[in-house]
Amino acid sequence: MNPLLIIKDLTVAVGAKVLVNNVSFEVPRGKIVAIAGGSGSGKTTIGLSILRLLSPALSIKQGSIIFEGHSLLGLPVREMQNCRGARIGMVFQEPLSAFDPLFTIGHQLDEVLVAHTQLSKQERDKKILETLSEVELPDPQRAYKSYPHQLSGGMRQRAMVAQAMVCGPSLIIADEPTSNLDITLQIKIMGLLGRLKSKNISILLITHDLGMISHVADEVIILRQGMVVEKGPVGQVIGQPQHEYTKELIEVFQ
Amino acid sequence: MEKVIHRSRTHLAFASFRQNRMAIFCLWALVILYGLAIFADFICPYAYQDEDRDFSYCPPTAVEFVDQGRWVCPFVYKRTLTFDAVHRRVYVKDLTQKYPLHFLKEGRLLGVDAPGRFYIWGADARGRDLFSRIWYGARISLSIGLLGVGISFVLGLLIGGIAGYYGGWLDSILMRLCEMFMMIPGFYLMLALRAAVPENFNSVQVYVSVVIILALIGWASLARIIRGMALSLRERDYVLAAKTLGVPDIVIIFKHILPQTISYSIATLMLTVSSYILAEAGLSVVGLGIQDPIPSWGNLLSDAMGIVPVIFAPWILLPGFFIFIAVMSFNVIGDALRDAFDPMFREEGIE
Repeated sequence: MNPLLIIKDLTVAVGAKVLVNNVSFEVPRGKIVAIAGGSGSGKTTIGLSILRLLSPALSIKQGSIIFEGHSLLGLPVREMQNCRGARIGMVFQEPLSAFDPLFTIGHQLDEVLVAHTQLSKQERDKKILETLSEVELPDPQRAYKSYPHQLSGGMRQRAMVAQAMVCGPSLIIADEPTSNLDITLQIKIMGLLGRLKSKNISILLITHDLGMISHVADEVIILRQGMVVEKGPVGQVIGQPQHEYTKELIEVFQ
Repeated sequence: MEKVIHRSRTHLAFASFRQNRMAIFCLWALVILYGLAIFADFICPYAYQDEDRDFSYCPPTAVEFVDQGRWVCPFVYKRTLTFDAVHRRVYVKDLTQKYPLHFLKEGRLLGVDAPGRFYIWGADARGRDLFSRIWYGARISLSIGLLGVGISFVLGLLIGGIAGYYGGWLDSILMRLCEMFMMIPGFYLMLALRAAVPENFNSVQVYVSVVIILALIGWASLARIIRGMALSLRERDYVLAAKTLGVPDIVIIFKHILPQTISYSIATLMLTVSSYILAEAGLSVVGLGIQDPIPSWGNLLSDAMGIVPVIFAPWILLPGFFIFIAVMSFNVIGDALRDAFDPMFREEGIE
């Protein structure tokens, strides 16, 4: 079976400054692939490149992004928009700012379904409540009616995951999904992401937390200043790091 | 936490607004003005075109309650027109002829049987009741500002929102368009636009064209400010989040960007309404607005353009007083709303 996502020789630059340099990797179906690296290593830029939502100053100089057999970079704008949210979901680091404070959680999940499906209001509500309980929110009905500020940090992050998966995407890009949570919540959210694999959803996990990577990821790509320094199965990269930078990162976490 | 702040901000804003006595007073003044305009058919003793040339510039008529030392139903004396030594009009009370006022007749609150007439606030050159004409005119003057602002508001939010959200060349084109409207002084732009309207329009068509002209002079400044706010709001995380979820741009603009500008927009709207009421009055005073016999505060005032009527019939300046009340009220309310929504101002107030 073909990998779900193939990124080949991706180079992103702002003016003459290269942020992502010749990065290539693959995300197999139903696997968690992690991109690790320090601040400014280009992790988030790769995530946004896949969705083609880079800020206008940044441009993709070369490379290709093949998702489900289609080249995303060549896709017409309209089809790209249909792809976002429906086939690829994204989870952000800070769910409070990623939800509009003026609307309820249920309303904002509904917005995604309205944009991508022709379901009736009843079907959409049913689907939203199902998804909210899938992400193990204790009281989906309440969460549905809550405004973002009325939920706790962990619940908000679960709601965010629910929003990313409500349309049944095959890939979720999680950009530092647990950085703002305490350690017990981190473990719970990671467990949740791990279980998504059983629904055949692949996850591209963007993080600097090697501890988390060794818990949940199948493969890992170590990025430094926009370049891949090492990649491979987690056991191999974390267990027997080949590159100096990888060793440094691991040391920091021990 | 952001939502908490936002909600309490609205609450605080309204609490602060309620404490502003002047603003509440003006709010009531507007409620009364609009109420009188809406119920003009009931309140006014005469229809706006009801004239009697025997009573040209008749001064305000006193309503009498006492007849030969006894309290009776209110009535008015007959008045007859004579001229004094320098040929000024003098209306003489004829104490032998009384006309009782009657209430709630023919759907009007007050009235008097013909040939008697009474003028609470005096009459104009053609013997039409100024009181009635002011409240019928209020319908035009007070509605035209609101309608014009309604259109300006939609145009301003839409164009400002689109320009700010998309940025780039679209922003440049839309903003240059705004500047084209802003570079011509408002009154001259209004005259130019009015010149483009055919002369044989009936009163409804004139009304609509004045509304559109007003809307066209005011939308640009609102659009520019909304555009500035949209430029900063589009960098919010939830806008990016909505994009990653494939939410269409137009939905993002209407749901995630424009609602955030509403507190500012509403305050600005109030200030704009007052400038539109003035603008309509300006157009009508120079005879380019609503045409006689349909009254508006502006064309009522145009009767007071000459020095002679102002000296001998000063009551025809009354519409100006109501323009002043309406404009000032909208301004005070707009200022109060702006201060109420602006946390910086409020903190200063607490100190």
